Amino acid sequence: MADEAVFDKKKAHRAKLSGRKAEKKKKKNQVDQSNLSARQRNPKAFAIQSAVRAERQFRRREDVIAKKQHIPQVDKTPLDPPPIVVAIVGPPRVGKTTLINNLIKSFIKTNVTSTNGPITIVTSKKRRITLIECNNDINSMIDIAKCADLVLLLCDASFGFEMEIFEFLNICQVHGMPKIMGVLTHLDMIKNAKKLKMTKKTLKHRFWTEVYSGAKLFYLSGIIHGEYLRNEIKNLSRFISVMKFRPLSWRMTHAYMLADRLEDITNQENIRKDPKTSRDVVLYGYVRGVPLMKDSVVHIAGVGDMKISDLSYLPDPCPLPSSEKKRHLMERERQIYAPFSGVGGIVYDKDAVYIELKGSHSHKVEDEETNEKKALLKNVVETKETLDEQMQETGFKLFSGGAVIYPDMLKNDEYLQHSANNERTESSDESNSEAESDSDNDSGIDQSEKDSDAKLPWTNNSESEEENDDMDTEDKFTKNKSKTDADHSSSSDDDEEDFNIKWKEKLTEKATMAYFERQRTTKNIMKLVYNEFEIGNKTKEQEESGGESDAEEIGGIFKKVTITQKKKHKEKEQLDLDECSFFYSLDKPKLRDWLNEANKQLIINSFVTGKRSADEDAAELLKLDDASDGDDEMYGDFEDLETGEKHASDQKTDENKEEVGSKRKPESTKSEILNKKLRLKAKFDAEYDNPDDHRIKGDHSYYENLKAEALKQSELNKSVFESLDEGLRIEVEGFRPGLYVRMLFKNMPSEFVTNFDSSYPLLIGALNMAEQNIGFVSCKVKKHRWYKKILKTNDPLIISLGWRRFQTLPIYSKIEDDLKCRYLKYTPQHVTCNMHFYGPITPQNTGFLALQTVNNNSNEIKKLGFRVAATGSVNEINKSTQIMKKLKLVGTPLKIYKKTAFIKDMFTSTLEVAKFEGARVKTVSGIRGQIKKALNKPEGAFRATFEDKILMSDIVFCRTWFKVDVTRFYAPVVNLLLPIGNKNAWEGMKTKGQLKRERNIIHDANLDSMYTDIVRQPKVFKPLVIPKELQKGLPYKLKPKAKTTTLTKNRKPTILTNRIAVVKSPHEQNVSNVMKMLKTNFEKKMEVQKGMTSERIKKHKKQQEAEEWQKIKRQKELKKKICRHLSKMSNKKQKQM
Amino acid sequence: MPATIHNDVLIYKGSNLFRQRLLLSTLSGRAIKIEEIRSSHDDPGLKEYEVNLIRLLDKITNGSRVELSETGTSMYYQPGILIGGQVSHSCCTQRGIGAPPQGGGEIVFKCPVRRHLRPLQWATWGLVKRIRGVVYALRVSPTMANRVVEAAKGVMLKFLPDVYINTDQCRGPNAGKSPGFGISLIAETNEKTFYCAEAKSAEAGTGEISLPEDLGRECAMKLLDEIHRAGTVDSAFQWILALWMALGQKDVSECVVGPLSDYTIKFLQHLKEFFGVMFKLEVLRTEDDDDSSDDEEKVITAQKIKMTCVGIGYVNISKRTH
Repeated sequence: MADEAVFDKKKAHRAKLSGRKAEKKKKKNQVDQSNLSARQRNPKAFAIQSAVRAERQFRRREDVIAKKQHIPQVDKTPLDPPPIVVAIVGPPRVGKTTLINNLIKSFIKTNVTSTNGPITIVTSKKRRITLIECNNDINSMIDIAKCADLVLLLCDASFGFEMEIFEFLNICQVHGMPKIMGVLTHLDMIKNAKKLKMTKKTLKHRFWTEVYSGAKLFYLSGIIHGEYLRNEIKNLSRFISVMKFRPLSWRMTHAYMLADRLEDITNQENIRKDPKTSRDVVLYGYVRGVPLMKDSVVHIAGVGDMKISDLSYLPDPCPLPSSEKKRHLMERERQIYAPFSGVGGIVYDKDAVYIELKGSHSHKVEDEETNEKKALLKNVVETKETLDEQMQETGFKLFSGGAVIYPDMLKNDEYLQHSANNERTESSDESNSEAESDSDNDSGIDQSEKDSDAKLPWTNNSESEEENDDMDTEDKFTKNKSKTDADHSSSSDDDEEDFNIKWKEKLTEKATMAYFERQRTTKNIMKLVYNEFEIGNKTKEQEESGGESDAEEIGGIFKKVTITQKKKHKEKEQLDLDECSFFYSLDKPKLRDWLNEANKQLIINSFVTGKRSADEDAAELLKLDDASDGDDEMYGDFEDLETGEKHASDQKTDENKEEVGSKRKPESTKSEILNKKLRLKAKFDAEYDNPDDHRIKGDHSYYENLKAEALKQSELNKSVFESLDEGLRIEVEGFRPGLYVRMLFKNMPSEFVTNFDSSYPLLIGALNMAEQNIGFVSCKVKKHRWYKKILKTNDPLIISLGWRRFQTLPIYSKIEDDLKCRYLKYTPQHVTCNMHFYGPITPQNTGFLALQTVNNNSNEIKKLGFRVAATGSVNEINKSTQIMKKLKLVGTPLKIYKKTAFIKDMFTSTLEVAKFEGARVKTVSGIRGQIKKALNKPEGAFRATFEDKILMSDIVFCRTWFKVDVTRFYAPVVNLLLPIGNKNAWEGMKTKGQLKRERNIIHDANLDSMYTDIVRQPKVFKPLVIPKELQKGLPYKLKPKAKTTTLTKNRKPTILTNRIAVVKSPHEQNVSNVMKMLKTNFEKKMEVQKGMTSERIKKHKKQQEAEEWQKIKRQKELKKKICRHLSKMSNKKQKQM
Repeated sequence: MPATIHNDVLIYKGSNLFRQRLLLSTLSGRAIKIEEIRSSHDDPGLKEYEVNLIRLLDKITNGSRVELSETGTSMYYQPGILIGGQVSHSCCTQRGIGAPPQGGGEIVFKCPVRRHLRPLQWATWGLVKRIRGVVYALRVSPTMANRVVEAAKGVMLKFLPDVYINTDQCRGPNAGKSPGFGISLIAETNEKTFYCAEAKSAEAGTGEISLPEDLGRECAMKLLDEIHRAGTVDSAFQWILALWMALGQKDVSECVVGPLSDYTIKFLQHLKEFFGVMFKLEVLRTEDDDDSSDDEEKVITAQKIKMTCVGIGYVNISKRTH
């Protein structure tokens, strides 16, 4: 045993302690294995085994990546974004209002008594939301879908999804899908737990098919004391406050506003005189989407296109908390703003102003009250200022009951003050010189510049002389020179002291001169370009102010006359000049002699041969590089980067300092540091944290570049105007989203105010260039598969396209292969077709949906089921249309010659025929021909030639096209003007059928249109006769045979041959055999019977004959006997005689 | 002269800037009315070449409406929709496109069709690396062309060795109808910016005589002027650049150009009126401003202006989609 054990014992492994393998192992163990990935530990296992497989893997991975890529879009959300619009949508009696109340309570911890219209609340440090409830009206649903960022789609779980929900989802899909969260309510109505589970599941899956699979669906399990469960609402509100949004293409190209406050500032006297007088209405709200330009045309959904008479921004009524360092919102910062509901701040009634004080607990902290007062005060003060700057002819009413303040009045006041100041502080000479030098100004700025100093946003800053350095080179720009500016600066300084105290506050002492300078030069060039323009728009004011100063200053009169004359003279000179786009006008300019040595120096460095600037010169750069390398080699890269950064950051902080003052400074530097850190980390990561370095990777540089470009653009968009002052910024950029603005509309219909109902959303959408025009829109359209009827051409249709809802008369058509639009009378059932209508010009690819009625009549809804009749998108816009209808003209032959025939009944006049000369015609049998010329005799008949002789029974067609015009009918749905309670009953043009039904008009059917049975007479052909001559030439096979004349004999065999042999199955054979035997039997029997019968009859006949014979014989004998007897008797008589 | 607006129609006065106004009106779709066209002149009303321009606009649009008053001193233009396609148009010889009055030439202009314009950031223009040019001599002695080349080259070679000027002589029917000669020069920078200048001889029959040497020198000077003004485009194209920036998507565009020409200033004003676009213009400080105190001689380069604007998101509405 022991021996065996010895045998079994294997030699133990002895690890190499030296040599190649030992070295290798040592090296391997040196690296910490725990941190390595499998690939790094064992690279051989991951080596490419099969090239094909690797290729497939690579391709698949690339596919997956490519599928995830979206076209990068420029992120246009501003730094202070507008509140997010959260719309609560659902059928009636589903718990919308309760949900809103609960959400408000959960966010701001206050109860709101009544909710009406949009309610803006601050939910977190960086987010505000506007809650809005959608009422049960398809118009509202459409408008809400166009402006909502997030939709809470409520559904009564005990009932299931209703048609409204599907309709709403459809509307959303067409106009750009907002984020949608489903909310199931009334779950407590389902008592059975299992059923509840099933319901939830089915509803969830149905919801997923409609939105996207995995869409969030909330369950509100029940109501306790009229409220949903607190933690469920809390969860919902958490979801709302972290929701992220994708940009929607329509809203990324259009500015819009959801009005949350409305005021009627029409003169009360005018209203008293005529209650129907057109009103001046002011609407307030946050700008959303993209910046809103000042003089853009807008569409108010439910009212129509309007021009904004005046637009100005106001301080935010519901501002985000100032960016202090804290984690949570303070109680007092949880603000709410809902003027229509009468919550938050001020309620504007018809004749009073109410200020809500937020209940008793708000008085506890004194801060709050004062804060609020301050805010209110600030509100008023700032409003006035902005109005100063921006309003021109509009009235503004601080309190609805109070008098209207017109900006002209304000300005005049200012002007008076100003001129008074001038008189006091400056000598009249000075002011004269100022005006004079102004008049020299090249850009045509005249005396009123003094006023405009106060008005124009860019003249607020003081001016200094240093700017002239820049302008020296250009003679054109610097006609208004040092003296002017010096005078200016003094006067405008005065102005500042008088009016622009705010400005002073802003300009801290730390602001450096360089900044001023830049600002000022900027403004000067802008003044040069735009000042003239501004003055032109303010002509009215000028005249007024001019008049006043005339009254005050006599010396001024002379000046003014000369100035205006000068100006006029100049204008006249320029009026009819020859247009020239070159720097110098057409006549030969006096150019600088560039060969002159002094001049040469100016441009010698603009050539590659010249000296370069320090940062571009290769030699210099090399030197620098060497120097830095000398310092420390290792971190050369970093050093460079950092020094570059430092430089930039210094500049930036300087700027920041100037614009915001010292407050922001630490923060910005901090962010700078953070940025730097991040960048360094990214660089480090890029170098070291890439285990897949050695693997083959796809080239995604194109996509990455696009993304980087979009990112860069969005950063530029945000940063580029930050340093500008607010007035100028708005001029250049427009009213950026997030600003709270006030819009004045003049000449609004009075019904808009008198019938105002705040439960209807007031959506104001800006229209881009050319979108306010009306033309012919061509689009592709598909009837909705849930809509029960098909749509008929020229039936009025309500279309929701862009911001608008309007009724129009569409014509459906199909694009043929030759790109012709062929008229269709009805929409096809399951495919898209073309549609033309007369309506607002809208960019291509904009989606639209069509309804046949927006009426909320419950009977009609029940009848229709689903109200969205069709959906589609815009293809093309034009000012004319080309839709052709197929037309078939029918005629009959009048007289036929060989190949020529006279055709009648196709046309009614010679003129018509003349139009169709040369047109192609065709008979039913397919003989083609051409129209030649009209005949004299029957009016409208013509001569035509054919390729063969036609028959009198032929019908001749002429196929042609007929152009159909689109009716110019466009009527916006003005449901907001309808009386309250009737707003959902808008009815536009009716169809002919509708009218007939209403008036009970029944027409007799056209007999020609009735279907009748077609009776066809069998056609009798004459026998074919082949001429003898022809017969001779035929081969024997084809020659008519003599037999063929005896048709009847020949036919029989053919019939027989045509018969099909019947093969019977054995059973059938048996059956038929038996049947046959039976039949034979029966027949035999019958035969025998028949024979016997005939024999019997024969016998019977013989017998009867014999009997007859006997009878006759007997009668004969009897007759003989009688006769004999008679004759005997007569013989006797004779004898007696 | 700023426009007055009445019923959403922009009303202008005078025949000046006729092209700009019609162009912007067509692009914006806003109707314009121009009054007092040469009302006080001996020959009042629109000139033939202006009417010709209106005809061209009518060809390239659908649904335009033009109303001229009887005297031709006022016109109303309601633009239609630009439809694209191929158009051939015979220009008026009174004021052609760079061609002398007798005409006889043909210009083929092609333009890609786009749905929208992308925002533009363009701030560097680099240094001039080469100069190219063409001298044309039509129905005159070919030596004229060589003389022009010599003169122009003589000036340009003082700045840059890479100068190449082509001559293009045409004879017979190829040469068109009008005798004369001219030169156009193009300077290309290493950042793909082009500056161009052109000059042409006086028209035959006007009595003026233009020497080829003078012409070449004049054109060279003009080009040097452009190089001195610098910027990312030369002065003749500033307005087009401004237009593209203004019509771009709703994003910020930023470009640096040389001093604004009068025409550009007028154009910017018109842009404001038609599209409501206002540019932020600032005079750019060159980097070596700080150094300028050290070496005085290199100070005075022409003023550079940074134009910044937000595009209006103009969309080509006449392109059909499927």
